[in-house]
Amino acid sequence: MSGERSFALVLLEMTLLVLFGPLVTGTIQKLKARLQSRQGAGFLQPYRDLAKLFRKSTVQADTASGLFRAIPVLVLAATVTAGALVPVVRAGTPAVPIGDALMLLGLLALARFLTAVGALDAGGAFGGMGASREMTIAPLVEPVLMMVVFSTALVAGTTELGALAAHRGTSWIFAWHAADFLGVTAMLVLLPAETGRIPVDNPDTHLELTMLHEGMLLEHSGPGLGCMLLASHTRQIVTLGFVSALFFPIAVNDAGADGSLVGAGAGGFVLGLAAFAVKILVLAIYLALVESSYAKLRLFRVPQYLAIGFVCALTALALRIL
Amino acid sequence: MSTETVYTIVDDLGALLLFTMILILAAGQIYRAIYAVAAQSFLIAVAGAVLAMATGNTDLWVIAGITLAVKAISLPWVLHWVVRKMNVRREVEPVIPVALTLAFAVMVVVMAFHLSGSLGPVRQAITGNALPVGIALTLLGVLVMATRKTAMHQMVGLFASENGIFFTAMAVTKGMPLIIEIGVILDVILAVLVMAIMVLRVRSTVDADIAGLDRLRG
Amino acid sequence: MAETLLWVIPLVPTVTALLMFTTRDRRILSAIDVGGSTILAVLALVLAREVRVGGPRALGIFRIDDLGLVFLLLLVVLTLAVSIYTVGWLKQALAVGNMKAESVRSYFALVHAFVATMVVTVLADNLGVLWIAMEGTTITSAMLVGYHGHQHGLEAAWKYIIVTTIGISFGLFGTVLVYAAAAAVPGGVAAMSWSAIMKVAPGLDPSIVRIGFIFVMVGYGTKAGLAPMHLWLPDAHSQAPTPVSALLSGVLIKCALLGIIRFQTIAAAACGPAFTSMVLVVFGLTSVVVATPFILAQRDVKRLLGYHSVEHVGIVVLGLGFGGPVGTYGALLHVVNHGVTKALAFFGAGTAIARYGTRDMRVIRGLFAVAPIGATFLMLAALSLAGVPPFSIFVSELLVLRAGIGHGHWLAIGIFLTMVAVIFAGILHHVGAMAFGRPTAAATREPEAWSPLLAMLLLAAIMILLGITIPASVDGLLRRATGVIVG
Repeated sequence: MSGERSFALVLLEMTLLVLFGPLVTGTIQKLKARLQSRQGAGFLQPYRDLAKLFRKSTVQADTASGLFRAIPVLVLAATVTAGALVPVVRAGTPAVPIGDALMLLGLLALARFLTAVGALDAGGAFGGMGASREMTIAPLVEPVLMMVVFSTALVAGTTELGALAAHRGTSWIFAWHAADFLGVTAMLVLLPAETGRIPVDNPDTHLELTMLHEGMLLEHSGPGLGCMLLASHTRQIVTLGFVSALFFPIAVNDAGADGSLVGAGAGGFVLGLAAFAVKILVLAIYLALVESSYAKLRLFRVPQYLAIGFVCALTALALRIL
Repeated sequence: MSTETVYTIVDDLGALLLFTMILILAAGQIYRAIYAVAAQSFLIAVAGAVLAMATGNTDLWVIAGITLAVKAISLPWVLHWVVRKMNVRREVEPVIPVALTLAFAVMVVVMAFHLSGSLGPVRQAITGNALPVGIALTLLGVLVMATRKTAMHQMVGLFASENGIFFTAMAVTKGMPLIIEIGVILDVILAVLVMAIMVLRVRSTVDADIAGLDRLRG
Repeated sequence: MAETLLWVIPLVPTVTALLMFTTRDRRILSAIDVGGSTILAVLALVLAREVRVGGPRALGIFRIDDLGLVFLLLLVVLTLAVSIYTVGWLKQALAVGNMKAESVRSYFALVHAFVATMVVTVLADNLGVLWIAMEGTTITSAMLVGYHGHQHGLEAAWKYIIVTTIGISFGLFGTVLVYAAAAAVPGGVAAMSWSAIMKVAPGLDPSIVRIGFIFVMVGYGTKAGLAPMHLWLPDAHSQAPTPVSALLSGVLIKCALLGIIRFQTIAAAACGPAFTSMVLVVFGLTSVVVATPFILAQRDVKRLLGYHSVEHVGIVVLGLGFGGPVGTYGALLHVVNHGVTKALAFFGAGTAIARYGTRDMRVIRGLFAVAPIGATFLMLAALSLAGVPPFSIFVSELLVLRAGIGHGHWLAIGIFLTMVAVIFAGILHHVGAMAFGRPTAAATREPEAWSPLLAMLLLAAIMILLGITIPASVDGLLRRATGVIVG
């Protein structure tokens, strides 16, 4: 087993996540377009959107309070901090105790809550509706994520993601316990909900009455909207990284023998990064496939869909305890 | 293959079986339920093959093959054919909400594991978690049949129940006698054919789902 | 000789079923029907004599002992009676259009296939074969229950096949568990045969057998019509053609009881009799209690008899649960008595239904004036079912009661007596109203057909004989069968 991850490495990983977040979104959009026999926008389109938004000035509703301006920054901050908790190139506990998987889920929940507050603050009808829907879905998603974490944490004896990944080691699918299968299925069921995609939400539209997340962004503009979008890109890659750290930590551990980034060597670093990229790509392909092959569920069907994940996670937990 | 590996694989297959069962319980459209039960039967066949490899019991190969051919391919195809013939695409809401059914399901699974956990030396007789998974599948199949008012869903629930029994039967250390397993599968085929005939007959005479008829009571 | 008979006897109804496809003439079909049943009965009697002289015999998956013999003899006698009854019943059913002429032969073929599967359940030594044959009875009889082809019949048939198939898969699970326990015993058996498992039964792991027995109780209990798994029974009994109702109630549910008894002996040896006794008493009492209100409030005469079967199966299981030689003997005697009496009651009811064209007991009035002989038989059967002395059911109920008192099950006995008293009043009220009073205009008045009367006479004679005195040969058989269970 390897040792700790240095603080510099943690910061570097966080930066990488933020930088590559939009690329993942771009990849999924491109894949979806190809699956639907369209040319689609380029992989870098999200970056161009962000660049455009940050150049613009802000327009704000008259009813909005001062809090509204702060919301995008707060949301982005919470999400990026969550990114610091995900191991990217190496497993192992961070040298500085910054928090565990529950902290990560808490930060993501905080970001979600702030987004909803912002949407309500602006006073728009769509925003309020989106917020209320998002808050209906959230209590169904978050406990399940929590249970999946617990079902793996029970064996490892820790809830710190780096340590969880290190505990799982380089083991591959054959060493999975039965509960892991159910945990993964629960995660796969929930991923579209957590990343705001079909069949739970539709990221491509601002017009449908059934939208959730996009509805809450309607009142934002300019750099504020840019922050919100960057936050949701980051949230997506953080969630994917979270899943891969929990269940597929291959190669993460191989990158280095001792704690320092320097000691791991550039080769190990590149290897870890490449493995991470592959894992994220696989999950992105999964999301694109799901988005292309399913229709958006009616809102009152969503709890039923999420209940599948809930039952899987609960069963996984039960398997661990009993 | 070492005993440990077989236990692990059987346990993993058991987890996937539970997942397919959850899909059946949650399925709204009948096609999804049929696909899920076909996948479940396929997993059972895989379990049979794994156990056959591990124990060197040639009977289990035959049983795995028959399971694959009959329960994973032929019977789901028959169900599919009947559904197309009946030409219903309407979803029928279950008697109790799906979310509640799933809550029941969790309780059943936990109970099954708790029960067989209290058994003690059962691991000698039955490989891995095959007993609690088998009990859970059987009971959940009954749950499907009790909460659904359409004939096809009830047949799918019946399949799932039978699958649970088969899973446990395969994992019994010395394996079931081949002739018995074949007889059981034959019975299942016949029962399904008879049910299919009844379903189509009611459909053609009164244009209703046979499981929805409720004139006889008291 | 006896070994040969073991595989010839299941073949007889099978061949009879196949012979049905050689002709379309109703008379010839009826002749094959009666002939096949007679041959079956004669062969069974020969087998009974062989077993009495030479003890239990086994051949491959089949085995006959005194316990199986009790059920086999009940089966062949009732099959013969049903065949005789069918001759006259069929003529009437064809005349009023209840049956179609072109479907008569498939009806007969199915009936004999049904009988064949039941014969296999009785003769099976292998618990897996027992299960397969039990499921076979479901498949063949489900077709018969829905034979009239109208909506209600199909509804009943669907409920029947779904409920019993699911129930019986529990039975398979229980069988698998018991087998797993037997296979895990050091030097244990890799075969599923009952006699082999019985030899190692005391060494089986009690915890697995306990779960297995409960599964079997639920599984075969469904087939036997024990509450609360009895839901299919009143529907199937009321919608099936009358001869099939008689077979369902008289024989089929008894075959399921035999399955329960086989597992009871294994479980009692492995976990101690206290456990099986508790399970059986609970199921038995539940059945008796659940059936009572439905019997009182019933309007459909065949449903009445169906619920009544639930009650009587409950009494049999109660007798087995009280246990000991007395309780077990009483339970086995009750199996025979109830089988014969219930078939007789269905025949009587069938005659009444044919006369009035309805199963509604509010319409069937004054049967004595319309069909005096049939009404007499119905009345006799009803008195016996209610438990009036000196009829046979009174005797067996008394034995069950005595066993309960002997083992100090006071609460169970209290509930049992109350329910039996209530049902006594209910049955007499229902049947009294049917038999006496002014005939309604709906009734047809024709001379009574001979064949149903002959069948009823046969059964009534057995019923009265068993009530007045139990012949030494029957008594000996029942004692030896009790010995098989109690050990």
